[in-house]
Amino acid sequence: MKHLAVLIALAPLSLPASADTARAVNDLILPSFENFAQGAQVLHQTALADCRSDAVAPAYQAAFDTWMGVSGLRIGPSETGALSIAFWPDDRGFTQRTLARLIDTEDPTGLDPSEYHEMSIAARGLFALDMLLYDPAFNTYGAGDYTCGLVQTITADLDRQADALSTSWAEDYAEVLIGAGAPDNTIYLSSDEAFRALYTQLLSGLEFTADTRLGRPMGTFERPRPKLAEAWRSDRSLGNVLISAQAAQGLAHALAGPELPQTDAAFSQVMLAADRVSDPSFQDLDDPQARLRVEVLQQRVRALYGAIEIEIGAPLGITPGFNSQDGD
Amino acid sequence: MTSRRRFLAALLAASAAPRLGWAAAGSPSYIAAAREPDGRFALFGLDQGGAQTFRVPLPARGHAGAAHPSRAEAVAFARRPGPFALVIDCAAGSVLHHLTPPDGRQFNGHGIFAEGGAVLFTSEQRSDTSAGVIGIWDVASGYRRIGEVSTHGIGPHDLRLMPDAKTLVVANGGIATDPSDRTKLNVPTMRSNLSYLDATGTLLEQIELSPDLWQNSIRHLAIRRDGLVAFAMQWEGAENAATPLLGLHRRGAPPVLAAAPLADELVMQGYAGSVAFAGDGTEVAITSPKGGRVHRFADDGAFIGPVSRSDICGLAPTRTGVLASDGLGGLLAIQGGTPTLLSRANVAWDNHLVSLTT
Repeated sequence: MKHLAVLIALAPLSLPASADTARAVNDLILPSFENFAQGAQVLHQTALADCRSDAVAPAYQAAFDTWMGVSGLRIGPSETGALSIAFWPDDRGFTQRTLARLIDTEDPTGLDPSEYHEMSIAARGLFALDMLLYDPAFNTYGAGDYTCGLVQTITADLDRQADALSTSWAEDYAEVLIGAGAPDNTIYLSSDEAFRALYTQLLSGLEFTADTRLGRPMGTFERPRPKLAEAWRSDRSLGNVLISAQAAQGLAHALAGPELPQTDAAFSQVMLAADRVSDPSFQDLDDPQARLRVEVLQQRVRALYGAIEIEIGAPLGITPGFNSQDGD
Repeated sequence: MTSRRRFLAALLAASAAPRLGWAAAGSPSYIAAAREPDGRFALFGLDQGGAQTFRVPLPARGHAGAAHPSRAEAVAFARRPGPFALVIDCAAGSVLHHLTPPDGRQFNGHGIFAEGGAVLFTSEQRSDTSAGVIGIWDVASGYRRIGEVSTHGIGPHDLRLMPDAKTLVVANGGIATDPSDRTKLNVPTMRSNLSYLDATGTLLEQIELSPDLWQNSIRHLAIRRDGLVAFAMQWEGAENAATPLLGLHRRGAPPVLAAAPLADELVMQGYAGSVAFAGDGTEVAITSPKGGRVHRFADDGAFIGPVSRSDICGLAPTRTGVLASDGLGGLLAIQGGTPTLLSRANVAWDNHLVSLTT
């Protein structure tokens, strides 16, 4: 018995197989994209029925939640597709400027869903809606105003994008990942590479959450930058951190199976730390106590990253990109 | 008798190691450095089909190399700031010479042979000021340092010979670095330029981008046969600025910046690692290992489209397209935007592919 226990303890983890990638794609990623497509469709129908900000807001929040389930994936159709759905960060204020120009000039493109994909990506997708629905400079429009039509155009465009993205993943890119190593597959030369790509997405999503979603508004102690928080107007900043961490945990399990005790424990710590954050839009970061709580949350997200590295990456010997980490 | 024997001996010594041509190293078309599975490094020769023709161990990670035009000799440069470069006999698999820059100079990762292989030019900087220097080495006397000239800029990186075989073009990246590591010292005030020099070091022409792009570090170069220079850049300014990462320049004309659509530009993460013209000169490509992408442009700077591949970085011309190498061991031939896998080795290909023919 003793020997058996030792044997089990020493048994190496199985190498990633195409089965692991297939499980992640079929059981998690594709359903999540379908979920987002449905969220975007409901949002558009809601906006068509009543375009005013109060009426659209709940469906907007729900659609954004569904997006957060897939927002960390930035490969294949999502490589650029994610940017016209969620154009953030926007340090130079492109979204605000482009929307203001559309509205000031009553640009007909803003009322033409079939042409709107030609617009700058800064004026498309969720963050354009975030501003139109929640910023007092925009959100007081009435049912007959240009902005009302613009909101409907953006939701129509978003609905289309979500549908196209979900379809591309299901009909094209799923096979690229699952069929890694096929002779004509020049994106993934082996099943290891496809697994590695999803694993890398998982980690870079968490890195983005720690460094950008949390790091940007934190700024420095002397100069916090709460207005750089993601979707602060709609009070989503904290929620986006949580849902993205949850999506990462889900993808970790889809890739590596149920037994990830350190990852699960680290995720619980993320939840606990999030629970203590006082303002979901991070607008109180100039208060040292509030800042400390967000800093703790950031540390917990980084700890989750570390746990996933230990439980999935290290046993499989997956290391960061040789050239992408080099810089020269 | 004695004198005759001496004479013969001297003659033999002079040609003791008759320098072998590239055929002796398997007639490679490219050379590339890589990390091997055991963590060690080596320099490889690759033929047009992506097969290995030679392998020589390296003591540390390399950056780029310079291939002698006729002898089977390559100079492998350490990553910057580099204390050494190695002249490697690619046929025998041995190190012929260890090159060290003079005191107060550091190799910056690139070099190029000139004058039919009689001279080696190396990209260097002064350790104290990061002022750029081109080191000049005499090949026949065993790579003896015979001089140096200024690059007319800070922190030079790539340098190339123009098609006239006399004029040098240097990418002065503009970044001053700490002498002991790669810490950047002057990012807010940096000012990159592209400089053309003659063999005596006289500055013939220098271009700078507009002040809002001074933080776009010009780092890598590719030259078309008609003298069109493609320069790849790395953005050191604020994140997500989505600045163009490729420029095209013809002597005497203003540079043309080649931009991709905003979403594509953002995916590149402000970073281009290598640049190459297609062999037929019709298009030019840059790679971003950070974005896992190749971006293709027409020779007027118009964006053609992307090709995705993880950790892709090295680029060199093929007859009608480009060859790309990546950190996962892949060598892809890209033609008309369609990638074809040539080979996959159990190595991580390093930043650059050096072409022996162009």
